[in-house]
Amino acid sequence: MIEPLLAADSIDFSVKDRMILRSAYVDAVPGTITALVGRSGSGKTTVFWILVGLRRPQGGQVRWAGERVERPRLADLARRGLAFGPDRPFLNPGLSTTDHLRMIDEEPSGAESHEWFGRPTGTLSGGEQRLSELAVLLACRPKVLVLDEPFRGLAPAVRDSIAGTLRRAATAGVAVLYADHDVEQVKNTADRLYSMESGMTRRVEGFRERPLAEWYHAWPQ
Amino acid sequence: MIPLSRWFQSKLFRSYLFQFPLIWLLVKAGNAYTAAWGGVPPLAFRPFTEVACCAIELFILWVFIRRNNEDILLGNLGLPWTVVLLPLVPIHFILSAVVALA
Repeated sequence: MIEPLLAADSIDFSVKDRMILRSAYVDAVPGTITALVGRSGSGKTTVFWILVGLRRPQGGQVRWAGERVERPRLADLARRGLAFGPDRPFLNPGLSTTDHLRMIDEEPSGAESHEWFGRPTGTLSGGEQRLSELAVLLACRPKVLVLDEPFRGLAPAVRDSIAGTLRRAATAGVAVLYADHDVEQVKNTADRLYSMESGMTRRVEGFRERPLAEWYHAWPQ
Repeated sequence: MIPLSRWFQSKLFRSYLFQFPLIWLLVKAGNAYTAAWGGVPPLAFRPFTEVACCAIELFILWVFIRRNNEDILLGNLGLPWTVVLLPLVPIHFILSAVVALA
């Protein structure tokens, strides 16, 4: 069994008196696509933000290659090989995709290039923006790629394109971890699955074969 | 982390170089107004005041950066906020010194 490269272990997080995460666990394994599936508000974004160092949990730890990361920060984790795509646009809207790529590579030579790469990202459609963000993240040559809701609100053709890109990255050895609430998309894309409900996670084996009612929205309240 | 030479030549850093003097101008105007109201030379170079104003300007710029989620972009590039903001500090003091001497 391959060890996870990045993991959030036993994460507790609360805001005032409200528990958002309760001993949540999620990890990313090289060469595989892991999905974290759950309803809106179940805590997926929060656990990702803690995993990449954008939030501090009250309990638990983030581990990189099995070792605890003290006070994780995105910039530090990125230098180790993490790339993180949030559930909102994060490229500079006044700059083109090519401008962003040139910050990473003087002569960008990505496998995929589109005519809109020369236009300011603020003028692009949602699907074009998402593909541009993915191109920028992959240009960083990550070992771990964490994406929050990468398929949300996209046309089927764009979803297929992103799913294909994630598969190629995983085949190349990248540990891909993404959050989604579309179970059918997860069944078609993911190799491993965590289900999340009310801030708790659990690993789901055989999610393609088992009936949905057995593992999704089937948590004891 | 991307090489610093490439970061300083990037359009993103240049956009911050363009925005920062505009923020400096706003803060300087506010500072000059309060100084005049307090009866001291409005454009004089007062080191402690300049340090405070510079911190306010960097904070305002960082708020704009975060509002666009560009802190996540910078994080993905391996750039901590210190590398992004501290190179702008000399600009504040140069502009303030020039105005004080003029």
